[in-house]
Amino acid sequence: MEPHVADLIDALPEETKHSEGAAGLTLAGLLKDLGKRRVPVGRFWRGRALGTLQAKIAAAYLAYWIRTSYKGVDEKQQRLNETHLKAAIELLGSMSYLRGAVMKFGQLIANYPYVAPQEFADVLGRLHFEAPPMHFSLLREFVRNELGADPEELFDGFEAKAFAAASLGQVHRARLKGAGEQVAIKIQYPSIRKTIHDDFANMRALLFPMRLSGDWDNLKLQFEEMCNMLELEADYENEAENLAMARNAFSDDEGIFVPKVHAEFSTGRVLTMDHVDGVHLAQFMATDPLQETRDQFGEKIVLAAARLWYRKNLLYADPHPGNYYFMPDGRLGLVDFGCCHRFTEDDIDFCNQIERAAHSSKEDLRKALIRAADMTPKQQKEPERLQLLEKLCEWLWEPNFHEGAFDFSDPDYFRRGLETFGEIMRRRYIRTLPVNIWLDRNFFGLRALLFRLRARVDLGGILRRESMDAQPVAGALVRGD
Amino acid sequence: MRITAQNKQKTRERIHRAARKLFQNKGFNETTTRHIAAEAHIATGTLFNYFPTKESLAMAIVSESLEQAKHEFHDRRNGSEALDELLFDQVAVSLRYLRPHRGYVGGVLDRTWSPLVAVPDSRDEPDLRVQHLQTVRELVSASLAGTEPPVITLHLYWTLFLGVIAYWADDESPHQEDTLVLLDQSMKLFANSLSEAADGTEEGINGTSRS
Repeated sequence: MEPHVADLIDALPEETKHSEGAAGLTLAGLLKDLGKRRVPVGRFWRGRALGTLQAKIAAAYLAYWIRTSYKGVDEKQQRLNETHLKAAIELLGSMSYLRGAVMKFGQLIANYPYVAPQEFADVLGRLHFEAPPMHFSLLREFVRNELGADPEELFDGFEAKAFAAASLGQVHRARLKGAGEQVAIKIQYPSIRKTIHDDFANMRALLFPMRLSGDWDNLKLQFEEMCNMLELEADYENEAENLAMARNAFSDDEGIFVPKVHAEFSTGRVLTMDHVDGVHLAQFMATDPLQETRDQFGEKIVLAAARLWYRKNLLYADPHPGNYYFMPDGRLGLVDFGCCHRFTEDDIDFCNQIERAAHSSKEDLRKALIRAADMTPKQQKEPERLQLLEKLCEWLWEPNFHEGAFDFSDPDYFRRGLETFGEIMRRRYIRTLPVNIWLDRNFFGLRALLFRLRARVDLGGILRRESMDAQPVAGALVRGD
Repeated sequence: MRITAQNKQKTRERIHRAARKLFQNKGFNETTTRHIAAEAHIATGTLFNYFPTKESLAMAIVSESLEQAKHEFHDRRNGSEALDELLFDQVAVSLRYLRPHRGYVGGVLDRTWSPLVAVPDSRDEPDLRVQHLQTVRELVSASLAGTEPPVITLHLYWTLFLGVIAYWADDESPHQEDTLVLLDQSMKLFANSLSEAADGTEEGINGTSRS
């Protein structure tokens, strides 16, 4: 059964539900308005008000999840869990500045598959455009601190209004003095790194009731990886390195553009790069482009991901529409390299094992999935667990094995994936290797993007071509080494 | 011997320089008027001809910085800013100008600007509190379509403002950027509460301001 907002709010402990006057009223208003609808993932993340309400709803998701996890445990244990949960929710409610962590956390839990394919894809697409803007005076003080002068002194034609907002920052247009080259300047919200750190410390408390779960050892690792993911994203020096790595991965004739970083106007929290001229997916689709054009862009999207994966060992982990520009000359512009994962040797070994298993025996696949899901010996003996994971793999690999171009616009394909993923979550099969947090974002995000683009792409062909010249340790899969 | 206005100004500047140096090196509390006079190579009695107390001298230094900040704030307004942004900017620019004095200015302002200090301890210097609140009154009034904000509103603002200053004085984040966030959120809170009051209880506000 799909939970409604009312179910989620009901999962909150009593005191939290009715406490804090104004916040309680807002919550009641929300219930009145939305209580009968399905979980409005897109709707509430679209809201501009940040703070207690969103924190409580994020907490409600967790509460719902945790409570249902403990069905069947004795009453005393249940009460203990709820006591911890109450304390944790209070802590979450006290978080001061939730732009980074809660929005990103929302993205992660938004993967709950209780929404239809289109809504799911839309949510993935919109999340990055929803952060409330910094006003110019705050931005100016921050830039002055970072770069030593006001933005108007450093650049010509600095646009006070951001043209794009992200959960950790916002992006402004300007021109370099003298040369006149147009640039995009990504400016981080002040203190966001510290906030992420503090918020995660609070969220760690939220997970406390789960410590008695048999999966706690693994959940802790996943949680640490999520912290790591967000902290990397808040490090613009890291992003500048990723951009430089990606920029030399493509030749001019491949039609993929990665902006150059202007180091003299960049720090760990301000990133100045070439401006990419183009439109995002929604605007592009509004022009009713030809199928052929959509397919060409789809191929470039896949090529970009595959090239970075196989030749740079870099996972472009956040392929949502805000990171892609459809340029007027037909090129695909890639921006936002904050959420990129550099594969470790272990990761590559794991990916190769999974990929090899796709071409090998059922037994090899079983072994690979046991590793992928970090299964305990007891879990390894649960046939349904393995069957569901096999089903998810089959779904993921379906476009790879498809002869010729695969039609990603097929809603049935998208829905089957969501259903399988949903079943995995409903059964609380939550153990996974930390690297899968990155991989899942990539796999689901890419499919959501291609679904919205209604593109037909020969995914298998591109992967085979790209893996031919892969780094020594990556790419064994498709080659069948 | 007649002391010319020019000489007076020079002595005054020498006292300012000496006080700034000592406040920064020794701290406000550890510095005495005797120390300042010695550093400025004048007699202690002469110092009192210029500044009756150590606090008034410190406020004169602060006042200079705030005067510069005020000009910058007014110069760079473009008329499109919302109230919360204007209030933010007024304080943010002031804090930037006060940055060289951050080590001691918190203590000075606490003593001279605290709501518990009824009359600022200064004879020569303009009352900075009055000036600052006058600007706030004008900004708020403009955003409420000419309605005068109630006195209690300005008191609330002042308390919020002093809280920001106190936080800033001890803020160890790079460039005191945590203060920027606190200031931003404080001013949003203040501006939102005003607009909510104006939307919801217009009578209340007008009534208070008329009374």
